[in-house]
Amino acid sequence: MSDIDIRAIEDFLYREAALLDRPDLDSWMQLFTEDGTYWMPAAEDQTDPLNHISHMYDDRVMMEIRRRNFVHPRASSKDSGVRASHLIGNIRLAGKTDRGDLKVTSNFHVVLWYRDEQRVYAGTYEHHLVATGDGWAIRHKRVNLINPEAPQRTLIIYL
Amino acid sequence: MRTTISHEELDSLVEPTRLHKRLYTDPDIFELEMERIWGQAWIFIGHESQVPKVGDYFATNITHKAPVIMVRDKEGKVHVLHNRCAHKGAKLVENRQGNVRGAFRCPYHGWSYKHDGTLIKIPNEAGYEGTGFDINDTCNNMQPVAQMGSYRGFVFATLSADAPDLKTWLGGAIDCLDNLCDRSPEGEVEVAGGVLRYEHECNWKFILENLNDTMHPMVVHQSVVQAAKDYIDSLPASATRERSEAEIILPFGSSYENFEESGITGFPYGHHYDGGKTSIHAKYTVMPAYHEAMVKAYGEERTRDIYSFNTHNTLYYPSLTIKTAVQNIRVVRPIAVDRFVVETWSFRLKGAPEEMLQRTLLYSRLINSSAGMVGPDDLEVYRRTQEGLESTASDWVEFHRQYGKDEQQADRVVGGGTGDLDMRTQYKAWKAYMSGEVFA
Repeated sequence: MSDIDIRAIEDFLYREAALLDRPDLDSWMQLFTEDGTYWMPAAEDQTDPLNHISHMYDDRVMMEIRRRNFVHPRASSKDSGVRASHLIGNIRLAGKTDRGDLKVTSNFHVVLWYRDEQRVYAGTYEHHLVATGDGWAIRHKRVNLINPEAPQRTLIIYL
Repeated sequence: MRTTISHEELDSLVEPTRLHKRLYTDPDIFELEMERIWGQAWIFIGHESQVPKVGDYFATNITHKAPVIMVRDKEGKVHVLHNRCAHKGAKLVENRQGNVRGAFRCPYHGWSYKHDGTLIKIPNEAGYEGTGFDINDTCNNMQPVAQMGSYRGFVFATLSADAPDLKTWLGGAIDCLDNLCDRSPEGEVEVAGGVLRYEHECNWKFILENLNDTMHPMVVHQSVVQAAKDYIDSLPASATRERSEAEIILPFGSSYENFEESGITGFPYGHHYDGGKTSIHAKYTVMPAYHEAMVKAYGEERTRDIYSFNTHNTLYYPSLTIKTAVQNIRVVRPIAVDRFVVETWSFRLKGAPEEMLQRTLLYSRLINSSAGMVGPDDLEVYRRTQEGLESTASDWVEFHRQYGKDEQQADRVVGGGTGDLDMRTQYKAWKAYMSGEVFA
């Protein structure tokens, strides 16, 4: 893995986070491969998104529906705007996935502003990245909350 | 705190077609509801499949003031006990689920209890000699709830010794629990795939009122239905349009006529369901391998009968709502006048292919998750109602739809699917429970 430029990986993750900070879902989605998925498990060390419940598990089709819903004028839970501040650290290269994608793990702290209130989310990310001609694309992003089993409040945006 | 609200005052808050806003905003009313509704009704605790082995326990709350434990003993019997040490009152278990090998052991002074709650041992017991303390007095055991009951694995408990037996209390609404279980080729279901817990910053009654309020889906869920529809329409003709997600999301945009046709059925003690002959779940694809297993188990005719009883939401007032055709349930746990938690549990149909459980979990995730595109819009309108009701503009909310048109049958009341029969049913029960004489 000596040929991987970790600074370039960090930069990619920071750019992704900046898009979610806005949030700019249109541009954010474009970071994913066509078969890309986003997963927020509902249990610690969950191994499977299909045979166990998750908070979110979206492929590109569901991302597309979510993006359209997010800006729909009749989605009342989205009337209150949402802004985020993502802080990512402890970025580490964690080898290759079975498919040969680059596995990158990191820690995140996200503060969300929603309904005149600030909410804190924390946990770890696992990104599976695919090299493209001019950079990287996300094949899979896993969001491990530190409290996935706890009662959750409404979350209207990807973390 | 002992609240003093007279029977006359309570009675005046629920009119045939109007409710006073205090039902949603007054902390004293909330405390009385916990005592008289949640403290008397059969409350859903959990499913026996959550405690499969000896010593397995599942801890929950009947009310914010009644932590309980469902536990399986050495003989395989399931008990519901108060989660309280008889000595100083400490909660015996803290985790939501787990296994106690030999005995419950209090973390404070080490009193230990058998799985059925019997006190076994007090450390340094000699100090009690000659004090009048009797270790064999049942008051020193973990206390059982007043009554517990189980129907097809669904465990309920009541804090009232006067409540009728569980089956009587369930009444005609029991058909839906039967239908849920009968959808398994083996006639049995089990909890599978974990739980979602969703915190609601509003009064617990809003979700019960919303279940069979069929005037809301096409308004509240318009955005997600349209987002899904527009996207599918934008796909090239060659693209595959058949997605389970679409099958689940699109019916939330069903017309008023469709919902009217599905009907609402009400029962004593506040239970009700919408649907029956049809519902928004009626057009789900029947998976061939599942159908095959069902026909093998029940024969073609009985299988069709089971499918054809298609309900949307069934409420067992006040704590449990089930989706027979989806095989998931939601459990309501009140915390304060403006706060409760909803738990979504999914069920495996024993003997059915795993794809059935996967669809159930897909539904739970899409519709009931706090990060979904359906549940959050429901909660948004509850929350706005909670805030709006603080307004001094009016003290009342109304529910007149199809008033005077309900048809009383032997054990049930039936009416149109877009009427307020569900409201009339649950608030009749509310009044009865709050009078304190519901089981008199």
